[in-house]
Amino acid sequence: MNIYVINGPNINLLGTREPEIYGSETLGDIEKKCIEQGLKDSHSVKFMQSNYEGEIVEWIQHAIIQKVDVIIINAAAYTHTSIAIHDALKSYSGYKIELHISNPHLRESFRHVSFISSAVDAVVAGLGADGYCHVIDLLSDLPIKIN
Amino acid sequence: MNNNKLLIINGPGLSDLSNFNDYGYEHLTLEKLQKKCLETCKSLGMELDFFQTDDQATLTKKIVEGIKECDALIINPVGYSHESTFDLDAYASNIKSDTLKNKPVIEVHITNIFHDNVGISEPVIVSKSGVGFICGLGVHSYELAIRSIHEKLNHN
Repeated sequence: MNIYVINGPNINLLGTREPEIYGSETLGDIEKKCIEQGLKDSHSVKFMQSNYEGEIVEWIQHAIIQKVDVIIINAAAYTHTSIAIHDALKSYSGYKIELHISNPHLRESFRHVSFISSAVDAVVAGLGADGYCHVIDLLSDLPIKIN
Repeated sequence: MNNNKLLIINGPGLSDLSNFNDYGYEHLTLEKLQKKCLETCKSLGMELDFFQTDDQATLTKKIVEGIKECDALIINPVGYSHESTFDLDAYASNIKSDTLKNKPVIEVHITNIFHDNVGISEPVIVSKSGVGFICGLGVHSYELAIRSIHEKLNHN
């Protein structure tokens, strides 16, 4: 499977940003683990991060054109604001999972609304940085149509 | 490594999983779900208490009493997560109560519960009291929760 792991704003600060919430692993650590986890099942994992909403939209559009099999998206703060990312995900017909390191519902009320959840197949939150690898590990068992 | 014990509680309505026919799970039964969870727990060396009730009072009692015997909780509250007929505050406070201490809790749902909403997702009240939330992966919502809890228990 071809997998895009798309990360939103401030996730590049992982390891230094509020480690009590997000853990001490850096984004580089997580990327390495995701790629290694994917290789176990012969998945090709492309790991991305952007602080720019438009760039994330373009990556999703790119996934549509490239017929990428799976998008795992941690839109971070854009989860709660971005109709543009919602629309892009709606246009993507592959398998898509919303992922959060922490559980947004446990946090400030402005994080309780997600524009992403209704546009994806599944939502995974609060499993920590390990959530990425756990989800990639599971993909071979899911009813995913391979392009 | 000690044998961790996991409690899985399935709330009202989950005795009959034919409700999920419309979601692509037409052959899913509670027995099959239980078997799958048992297999996953066994492969990870965990004990499992798999429980289902259609009764609110029994559900609350099981959360309070059952967790005392277990190291972690996975709960599928089904419609109670967003129905006003249930005392959600009492439910949440039970999960947050001292009996739970620092035991991991993950709320799971078979389907993506946000799909019926138009564009904007409502918060899931029960998930406010849990550490984790998983929905939309079918029976694999449970499997992911079990694997995540196993890792959490063995790294703390």
